[in-house]
Amino acid sequence: MSVATALGTSRFAGFPLSSWAFAVRIWIAVVVALYAAFWLQLESASSAAVCVGILAFPTRGQALEKAGYRSFATVIGVVASIAIVGTFSQARDLLLLAFAAWVGLCIYAAGLSDGNRAYAAVLAGYTVAVVAIQQQLDTPLHVFDAGMQRGAAIAVGIAAVAIVNDLLVAPDRHLGLANQLAILHRQVRDLAKSVLRGEPSGGPATATLLRDIASLRSDMGSLATESSGGSTRSAAARSAAVALVAEVHAARVLAALPGSAEPALGDRLRSALEQEGVEETSTAAYAARGAAASVDWASRELLRRDREVREGLAALKSGVRPVHEWRTPYYRSHRLAGEAGVRAGLWMAMVSACLVLSGWALTDVSLTQVAVLIGLGATTPNPRGFTVLGFIVTPIAAITAGVLEFVVLGVTQFPLLAMGLAPFVMGSVLMMTLPNRVLSALGRLNLIFMLVIFGPSNPQIYNPETFLDVSLFVGLAAALLLMAQTLIPPLSDERRRRWLLGAARRELDRLTSRGVPRYGPEEAMFRDAERIRQIAGEGAPTAQVRAILQEAVALFDQAAAIRLCEASLARLAGGPLAALADQARKALATRDVQAIRRAALALHDAAARDALLAASHVMGPA
Amino acid sequence: MTHAFSELVVGGVLLAPFVTYAVAALAMFLILRPILQLTGFAKLFSHPSIAELSLYVTILGLLTVLF
Repeated sequence: MSVATALGTSRFAGFPLSSWAFAVRIWIAVVVALYAAFWLQLESASSAAVCVGILAFPTRGQALEKAGYRSFATVIGVVASIAIVGTFSQARDLLLLAFAAWVGLCIYAAGLSDGNRAYAAVLAGYTVAVVAIQQQLDTPLHVFDAGMQRGAAIAVGIAAVAIVNDLLVAPDRHLGLANQLAILHRQVRDLAKSVLRGEPSGGPATATLLRDIASLRSDMGSLATESSGGSTRSAAARSAAVALVAEVHAARVLAALPGSAEPALGDRLRSALEQEGVEETSTAAYAARGAAASVDWASRELLRRDREVREGLAALKSGVRPVHEWRTPYYRSHRLAGEAGVRAGLWMAMVSACLVLSGWALTDVSLTQVAVLIGLGATTPNPRGFTVLGFIVTPIAAITAGVLEFVVLGVTQFPLLAMGLAPFVMGSVLMMTLPNRVLSALGRLNLIFMLVIFGPSNPQIYNPETFLDVSLFVGLAAALLLMAQTLIPPLSDERRRRWLLGAARRELDRLTSRGVPRYGPEEAMFRDAERIRQIAGEGAPTAQVRAILQEAVALFDQAAAIRLCEASLARLAGGPLAALADQARKALATRDVQAIRRAALALHDAAARDALLAASHVMGPA
Repeated sequence: MTHAFSELVVGGVLLAPFVTYAVAALAMFLILRPILQLTGFAKLFSHPSIAELSLYVTILGLLTVLF
């Protein structure tokens, strides 16, 4: 039994030992980051601890990937801060307006990507708040210094997390990812077997499967940073995931054919799927009369896709380059990203106007917190839900930080600070490992907000007034943002789904009129699966969503079939069957079923003649 | 004889010599990664992550001593 397996099975105080190991690693990283930041006499030493909280991931690759994006986004954010403050230093209102526009632009950029790329975009947005707005609004000359201090603190935090994760052997993500892909492979095979039994392959069930495969996209990217062989494993994982989507499509194609429910064919294919490594032999003899050629092709296609998944999974486990290096494109909707960006800019401008009119001191804390909440909320499917979560977490984090600062601590020695931090940091991290999504998010936010409110510094100022002010203004930020989001609500799920479905329909209409496709047919299938993930959202779909998913999966089927046909026809260009292929392409463009059938039969007959001719050439000399 | 460390100046901003060394070592390590992958470096060790960290520290130490 490996160490990882042993840690995964044993439990202590209700949590697996792997969760405890994760909690201990993060606590040590927080302490190391704080110690290094105090030793280097950094002004914003607490930022190093907060950085560790943000990079708290159970596996090494995820933390390192986020760290890379965090460094890059901080540089962009600091440059933007200098540009905004340099341009509008004499006009406060214009400066806040420019800041709101910058936040909107960053949210738009975040909407065009997922995972840590989206996080980097929103971080570039709220870095301006941290560097240029918080404490520097009235002292624009200090913006550069503040930026350098923040950059140094983040570098210390990243180094602490990276070294602690390496030395304490944080687990690799590829083992977990291989397991998840293997489970999905079993589910896809179950779908294929149910199709062969003649059961209908339900659209919503297929959509859920496609959603689960596509949701691993950002995790597959993070494998690249894991080790020197990470990029190979990442390519293998992508290959397996794309082949899984293609296998789902192959199973649905088989289900759509009239002669696929023959018991003999079903038995043959089921045994081929169960006995891995069986060659894709002809199944024409098992198919119903009249549909032999198409059912035979679809059966071989299903077995070929299954073999490609197995090859991808084997490459992922052994760390070798996969046979197919497919990309996993993300479906970008500029319209949805633009709408989210405009809304974010308006929320920021509204809250800024409220805080300017209030004339209170310390409103810069609220403004920064609003930018953080808007930014991080944009990387979640439900921005308003995230603000509500932030509103709930703020008092919890304030109480936790208060207990830590005034009850547990009250000391100036570093070892006592380190010991005092242990239960609070480890408790939050353990909460993060819970399977419940809300509790997990509460744990993550509590860890970050607690460290922000506590703000460890050297020497620590135990000032109750500052603590109360900061807690109050952090809470006020969430309340004001909730009000702004009530006046201008985020894009509703229903509208977002309708728009994505409309985009899928338009794309299908334009499919055959396009020039050279940007992605291969399998890659384009994954992109469509990614769009289905965005339509499906999280959790079980409601009746209304199920109807939308049914149509989305039908569009996915048609688009994938057309792309595969076009790719096959493109291979015939310049050959003896080029004229027939051109005819078939024209039939495909008109979507005339009879014309498509005639073209397919003509191609089939011509191919059979060619095969006979080739066989006679081969046999001739013998 | 004392080793003279010189600061890197970027647009009038002085960067500590250690930062320059750390960034240069990181760049060299990233360039080395494809070679490590080809030579099967990770398969030689029970804990490849510690081996890779040690390699980075070695490059950083060598840069500091030699330049």
